[in-house]
Amino acid sequence: MAKENILVGLEIGTWKICAVVAETRSDGMLQILGVGHAPSRGVRKGEIVDFDTAQKCIREALADAEEKSNVEIGSAWVGVTGAHIQSFNNRGTVLLPEDRDEIDDQDIEDVKVSAREVSLSPENHFLHNIIQHYSVDGKEGIVDPSGMIGSKLEADYHIVYGVGNRLKNTIRCVKEIPLEVEDVVLNGLASAFVVLTPESKQHGTLMIDIGAGTIDWVVFYQGVVVQSGVLAVGGDHITNDIAMGLRLPTNRAERLKTEEGSALLGNSLPGDTIVLQDETGFAGREVERELLNTIIHMRLREAFELLKRQLEQEPYLERLGGGVLLTGGTSQLRGIEHLASDVFGLPTKRVHAMDVSGVTSAFMNPQYSTAIGLAKYGQAVMRERVNPTIADRITGSVENMSLAIKRFLTRKRSKS
Amino acid sequence: MISLESLRPKPRGSFSTLVLGIGGAGCNLLDRVVLDGFDKMQLVGINTDIQTLSACVAGRKLQLGRNVTRGLGTGGDPDLGMEATEEMREELDALLEPGQLLFLCAGLGGGTGSGATPMIARMAREKGALVMAFVLLPFSFEGRRRLSQAERALELISAECDAVVCFENDRMVETVSARAGIHEAFAAANAIISGSIRAVHDLASRPGLIAIGLDDLWQALRRQNSRCIFGHGVGEGDNAGHDALARALKSPLLGNGTALRETTTVLVNVSGGPQLTLSQVQILMDELSRHIHPDAHILFGSSVDKMLGTSVHVTILSALGEPMEQGARQPRAAEKVEPPRRKEPTVASQPEQTEEPEQPEEFHESLLPEPREEVPVATLDDSEDAPSVPKPEAVPAQKAVNEAKQEDFKFEPIKRGRFEKSEPTIVEGQDLDVPTFLRKNVRMK
Repeated sequence: MAKENILVGLEIGTWKICAVVAETRSDGMLQILGVGHAPSRGVRKGEIVDFDTAQKCIREALADAEEKSNVEIGSAWVGVTGAHIQSFNNRGTVLLPEDRDEIDDQDIEDVKVSAREVSLSPENHFLHNIIQHYSVDGKEGIVDPSGMIGSKLEADYHIVYGVGNRLKNTIRCVKEIPLEVEDVVLNGLASAFVVLTPESKQHGTLMIDIGAGTIDWVVFYQGVVVQSGVLAVGGDHITNDIAMGLRLPTNRAERLKTEEGSALLGNSLPGDTIVLQDETGFAGREVERELLNTIIHMRLREAFELLKRQLEQEPYLERLGGGVLLTGGTSQLRGIEHLASDVFGLPTKRVHAMDVSGVTSAFMNPQYSTAIGLAKYGQAVMRERVNPTIADRITGSVENMSLAIKRFLTRKRSKS
Repeated sequence: MISLESLRPKPRGSFSTLVLGIGGAGCNLLDRVVLDGFDKMQLVGINTDIQTLSACVAGRKLQLGRNVTRGLGTGGDPDLGMEATEEMREELDALLEPGQLLFLCAGLGGGTGSGATPMIARMAREKGALVMAFVLLPFSFEGRRRLSQAERALELISAECDAVVCFENDRMVETVSARAGIHEAFAAANAIISGSIRAVHDLASRPGLIAIGLDDLWQALRRQNSRCIFGHGVGEGDNAGHDALARALKSPLLGNGTALRETTTVLVNVSGGPQLTLSQVQILMDELSRHIHPDAHILFGSSVDKMLGTSVHVTILSALGEPMEQGARQPRAAEKVEPPRRKEPTVASQPEQTEEPEQPEEFHESLLPEPREEVPVATLDDSEDAPSVPKPEAVPAQKAVNEAKQEDFKFEPIKRGRFEKSEPTIVEGQDLDVPTFLRKNVRMK
């Protein structure tokens, strides 16, 4: 088995830690060899809060993945998320010298540098710089300006950044496993890699990856990322609300949510109750179904409405032809797609990873979108390293540019 | 008919505030203060160099050493600066008033700032003003001579002032992005200092729900060899409270909040627009308490000002150093000694502190170093005096028990369940960790 074709996506989630081992087949397709997972502890809202516990869980997940795939894992593409991650769009400009009017590769390099040249406050670090479009002399939407005639070249970039120390924490945690970190990738972006088709990116789609700790969202329009972000609310909040509202222990609330809960109201008859079984340490009781659903509904509606208000700061929401795609563990909740469709006023459907083959149970489940996406992202970046021009065309838009992150890595490496 | 006017909180204290910008750097700083628009303070620029002084935009200006330097600078000689100040003693004296809150702003290391500031501070102290100096130390690249001059001046100033907040140019640079232009960098440094002055002034003067007076300020700052630690942060938007606190803790003098661990008294003021909510303040204070020594005494103040809009300002002020001996400096007659306050932020619901039955005289009696056992008085805040009085071991222990008891009765208006200990998710001013149905007041059976 060719070792360099192995890609590992590691998602340190709030609910579960998941390692996907995949391989690039000769036809370029990504084949999943094995998926290892372990329940996550020591992670809150997508960020590691207890190092030792989280590391134990990561080791468990990796061991599971190694066993299932029969591959020794040496490095991984690690997903990051958290409320500290933010993004914005920035435009860079380069004016051609007067004696020349054909745009060459150096101009394209220069405009990239200029577009990325934004001053972040010192605690922040770049996570991704993603090229959207070039424009030449004001003509927008140019994918490859090389060789075109013009006097002014501009580039629009989508820039994702986060608090450096918090990003470093994740990297350090993984490196102490010990496991090599290929790069860190925003969870939402990784998921988008496998759940969105080129058509849906082109038409304009809002992808919502709703996990246990966070909601990671990305808006694609005309094939490129135009908005992205993280809202630190997720399935854990629903469980917490249920536990507090119905006065149940957390694990009972979690089970009730997944087995009986729905995000829709008015679907149960008055007096319709759910009987909770007696268990050790827990006396059985009855819970009114409508009450349970009200708690879930209010939380999710609120989260979606907050998200909608964030999206409305830019004009893309009403132009999305591809609708809303939901993925992530919490997207399995009954009725959530109807609620999302109601809030955003767009057709909504639940999706999972596509364009991959292998262990069917893995990619058919929206829980694994991020982890598979990480492997896929890795594949795209690796290909780009081998042959940048082909990769540019294949990945369409995403560039691996987290220089700042790499800088910490090298610094760390040189120390140890 | 009852006039509503009388129900309004009275303007606190009747002190006037004077800001003196001394020397070139002081005048530059004063320009920034003027730009930030402080209409309630009297601003006076003081310099030997008539050229820079005339460029200063302060309302009043005073030239030092008309005969000594003849309108030129001091050429970096503090002795000349002192001489020049001596010459203008009467004019300076006319500016100073008893009971005034006086801010001195100066860059140290040169002639005027280093020479004039200690003298003016002494004059003001003799007059009975509360003197606080904001000084800037030179860049290390400016040479050892300047630095040693600055250090000598700083020593003199520390001896003369009630509080000295010392900014180091070298460290100010760290707060500014490396790409910022040189003008921008200096402007940012000045803005931090100007913000600090404003914050201290506002602390003492803005009518607060929980007001902090000069006495509290003084309480937080009186230390021997005091080195002030100071943080000021402004946050906007959804996470305003959290952002403001994070920025305040990042302030160059707080050393990322680590310095707070070592202090015994911390003064915190939170101000915001009319939308400032109690839960916002509480979340913020909870977060702050993680950075403060558990036994430290927190003097908390809060105020609402329409001018602030949706922003939240957090000011943290404290001093490192030995507690000052009792009686070394008694509060002067001009200062209003107010009854001590409880530290629970929950008293915010009271519009204004009701007068406690305790009289100031009794309050001072309670400072006598006698071991006291009565519980009710202890809860009333003798910790405010704790740093200043050497007490037998047994008493702090007793106090700790009392404090622990108090914790149990702490009023908790919000519930976060399993997210109790994690960083709050605040979006659009709401703590999203609190169940939606609780925030929207939907009743659950």
